[in-house]
Amino acid sequence: MEEYFDSTYIWESIPALLPYLKMTFFVAGLSVLFGSLLGLILAIMKLGENKVFQNIAHGYTTVLRCTPSIVLLFLIYYGVPAIAMNFGVNLNDMSSVFFVVITFTLQFGALMSEVIRSAYESIDRGQYEAAVSVGLSNMQAYRRIIFPQAFVVALPNFGNALLELMKEGALAYTIGLIDVMGKANLIIASNYNSHALEIYIGLSIIYWVLSIIIEQFFLKLERVFSKGNKGLKAA
Amino acid sequence: MSNGLDFEFLIDTFFVALTGVPVAILITVVSLAIALPLGFILALTRINKMLVLNQFSRVYVSFVRGTPVIVQIFIIYNSVPLLLASIFEKYNIQMDVYDVNPIWYALIVFSLNTTATLIEVFRSAINTVSKGQLEAAHSVGLTTVQAFRRIIVPQTLVVALPNICNATVNLIKATSLGYAMSLPEITLKAQVAANASYNYIEAYLDIFIIYLIICSLVEYLFKRLEKRLRKYQIAPTA
Repeated sequence: MEEYFDSTYIWESIPALLPYLKMTFFVAGLSVLFGSLLGLILAIMKLGENKVFQNIAHGYTTVLRCTPSIVLLFLIYYGVPAIAMNFGVNLNDMSSVFFVVITFTLQFGALMSEVIRSAYESIDRGQYEAAVSVGLSNMQAYRRIIFPQAFVVALPNFGNALLELMKEGALAYTIGLIDVMGKANLIIASNYNSHALEIYIGLSIIYWVLSIIIEQFFLKLERVFSKGNKGLKAA
Repeated sequence: MSNGLDFEFLIDTFFVALTGVPVAILITVVSLAIALPLGFILALTRINKMLVLNQFSRVYVSFVRGTPVIVQIFIIYNSVPLLLASIFEKYNIQMDVYDVNPIWYALIVFSLNTTATLIEVFRSAINTVSKGQLEAAHSVGLTTVQAFRRIIVPQTLVVALPNICNATVNLIKATSLGYAMSLPEITLKAQVAANASYNYIEAYLDIFIIYLIICSLVEYLFKRLEKRLRKYQIAPTA
């Protein structure tokens, strides 16, 4: 158990951790999928006419924004099985993936509802009216005119939300999920807690590279999809 | 476990967790006090494309924004004692590294983290103030320092305020991770209380409520502040 810093541990830890990115991606992917759906529903509630639905959706977003992920994670982890127990469902043996996905779905939904709402509101009302006036149906106007434009506006924010989700996802190790972070902790524990620093540096490199890749990917996407905008600016 | 909530414990733990609030607030305030000026200065180096410093803040921001806070906490928590130990050894200071109060580590982590966020906030805010403002200030005889203090900074602050509010809320939320360095803040206090009796749901409900109250208060204060700062802004017409 030497106390000094040994950089070879950094390079050894990275290949050992990489396979566990699969779990990180799996959890993030499911949360994005369900979270976007939830976000869409919340955004529709916010944009709708019904005052009660509006307040529920806004309240939900505020509450979720004020809750640290770690607290939400534990609330779900301990709370959901207890609630399910009252209905006679035993969830105590569920894998931690289940609870992690629920937590980050709830959180990502709150983020996405704001992303979708602001993207929708950024599209001028006149676009819809113009579309309807040339004879498009309601559905067609949304699908062909509003959605493609709102999509471009939402893209950078969606990318940010995704990055945020991936970083917060690191906390899933606290309830025993073995993703990259969980594996790093396992490696450290099997080293009797020595060289923790090197392993964490290796882990941070993985996260860093990953977020740079995601960032660049979204910049590229944005460039591809905003091509149609150029004509408008010239006019 | 399924016989409902233990309300007595819920209320008792609420007050236990409340005793962690001062620590969380202290860390938030000190981190902000360090990060606000530092973030502003580094944002200026980014905008003015200063050599070395510009590259440095770019890499710094990218790293901090690209890695989870919990990983940053573990890196600082594991590296600073190593550094300190070697320094103590070199200068023969008789002090145990493990006696250092975890608040110091927390301050380092959260100041560094918030600085990175604020660099980006200020960078985009300064960019919204047009260059003509500085030129106009110069032309009426203000020095650059005066121009910044009286013309640029007040305008930047108004634009940056909502994002500073976000950064503050995120910072308060992030202090909940202080439990990883055994920092006696809200989360840790409630967790310890819950460990004795396994009333985890009640404990986390308490933490949840406390954060909700603190964050709502912060958002309200920032709204008030924004209204006050906006007083001098003429409604943007054309």
